[in-house]
Amino acid sequence: MALFLQRLFDGLSEGSIYALLALGLVIIYRGTGHLNFAQGEMALFCTYIVYQLGEWGVAIGFALALGMVAGFALGAVTEVALVRPVARRSMFAVFIVTIALFRGLNWLDGAIWGDQVLPNSATSKQTQFPSLFSNQPKDFWHILGANITIQSIGILTLVLSLTALLFLLFNKTKLGLAMRAVASNSDSARLVGIPTHRVLMVSWGLATSIGALGGVVFAGVNHTVNLGLMFTVFIYSSAAATLGGFDSPGGAVIGALTIGVVQNMVAGYADQWVGQQMKIGVAFIVIVGVLLVKPSGLFGTAKVERV
Amino acid sequence: MSLLRTAGLKAGYGPVTVLHEIDLEVNEGEIVVMLGANGAGKTTTMRAISGVIPRHGTVYFGDHDITRSSPDAIVRHGIAQVPQGRGTFPELSVEDNLRAGAFVRKRGSDVAADIAKWFAVFPRLFERRTQRAGSLSGGEQQMVAIARALMSRPKLLLCDEPSLGLAPLITKELFEIIAGLNRDEGLSVLLVEQNANLAMHIADRVYLLETGRIVATGSADELSADDTIRKAYLGF
Repeated sequence: MALFLQRLFDGLSEGSIYALLALGLVIIYRGTGHLNFAQGEMALFCTYIVYQLGEWGVAIGFALALGMVAGFALGAVTEVALVRPVARRSMFAVFIVTIALFRGLNWLDGAIWGDQVLPNSATSKQTQFPSLFSNQPKDFWHILGANITIQSIGILTLVLSLTALLFLLFNKTKLGLAMRAVASNSDSARLVGIPTHRVLMVSWGLATSIGALGGVVFAGVNHTVNLGLMFTVFIYSSAAATLGGFDSPGGAVIGALTIGVVQNMVAGYADQWVGQQMKIGVAFIVIVGVLLVKPSGLFGTAKVERV
Repeated sequence: MSLLRTAGLKAGYGPVTVLHEIDLEVNEGEIVVMLGANGAGKTTTMRAISGVIPRHGTVYFGDHDITRSSPDAIVRHGIAQVPQGRGTFPELSVEDNLRAGAFVRKRGSDVAADIAKWFAVFPRLFERRTQRAGSLSGGEQQMVAIARALMSRPKLLLCDEPSLGLAPLITKELFEIIAGLNRDEGLSVLLVEQNANLAMHIADRVYLLETGRIVATGSADELSADDTIRKAYLGF
């Protein structure tokens, strides 16, 4: 029982990080129908910025805020300068552009910060990537024999509050209504006077900003940042968004938590033939399974149209 | 007094010019109908007026030159378009569709009262207010699109072939509603139609469009009296 609980909480904690990236994927997909392949790398770039700010002595809370602002700017500029010009031509071109961005940003990170794990004793003043939540060895709650760290509870709370905020944004604000309208029918959105370009720019900014939060949280859990940090996280996040439904923020979070838990359970209980090394396979099986059985995801909406 | 006036309006898609020098006018309180066959450029005219496709020439709305205005600025000036073929937001509820129609209105303006008003005009929409617009029948979706356009409190309503794909009885009902809005609210209307008969009944003036040019214009009675036009376009 204790072991089960432990795996459950480890899974929820990992799932929370996937959820942050998955939320970004969903926001962009809802707005434009594009899968942003560079979501993870855009988050990583912002994470490096937060690391750099830490090197300059900026406290983590403030550094995170700046990192998220940088994320917003990065997302907005990407939409305006790279995505919009090719989106007019074809959806496929956008996909290629995001792949190019994926490679390009990773190269840029390497060019600026090198390919070593940061912080390290040779180059950094910081001893570890700062965590948003206190993560001393003694900081955990003992529940039914399982050790649940303050950090994982903090991350889970963060993700759930953010989801609630996004729900309010989409359903109770004018900006949210505009975002939903643009996603539903951008031509009609223009005809009712919604500045669709600005809405899409804001969507990309918001998505990248949330991704940056995800990157910083994950680097905090890992204590380090490196060039490969977001590769697997991005795959898990895509699986989460596929499972939950690419157009449902709540679904993406539930999908992400589910994937976190399932892969930890599978890796834990089937450690003879899956184990830690192979657990990413669980995410792929989920993607393929969901696409076969319910292509719109658990909470996604199948397109309705009467002709 | 003229509300909308275009002079030498040209527009098209990429290298293809669809409209050649369209001069048209809609006066305050008028219902103007534009007739033309498929591909004559009716929808292009509407989209050019709304500013969603590139255009040349001049477009005046009241005293304002709106030739270079963005689509949202044009809606703010008071032009709202009901796009062709169920241009609703299918995934949004009927009520959210209407709310989106009020996007350009200032914060704190009484959007809820307007929603209630149009629900009174379209009682069927009130019954379906929480349903997704995409699940409604064609006629109901057309009503959603009209109510949504009216939510911006336009002075001029552009209606792009509202009868498309609708049963004649429902088309008649829609036209009666449009005529009623013109009578009771003083709304000016530019209506594009392929289906001339019903539209002629509510029209003050008519333009005939042929391959991107206006080939005839006059009052509904004048055009119905002209034999060649009647045979070619009105089919009676």
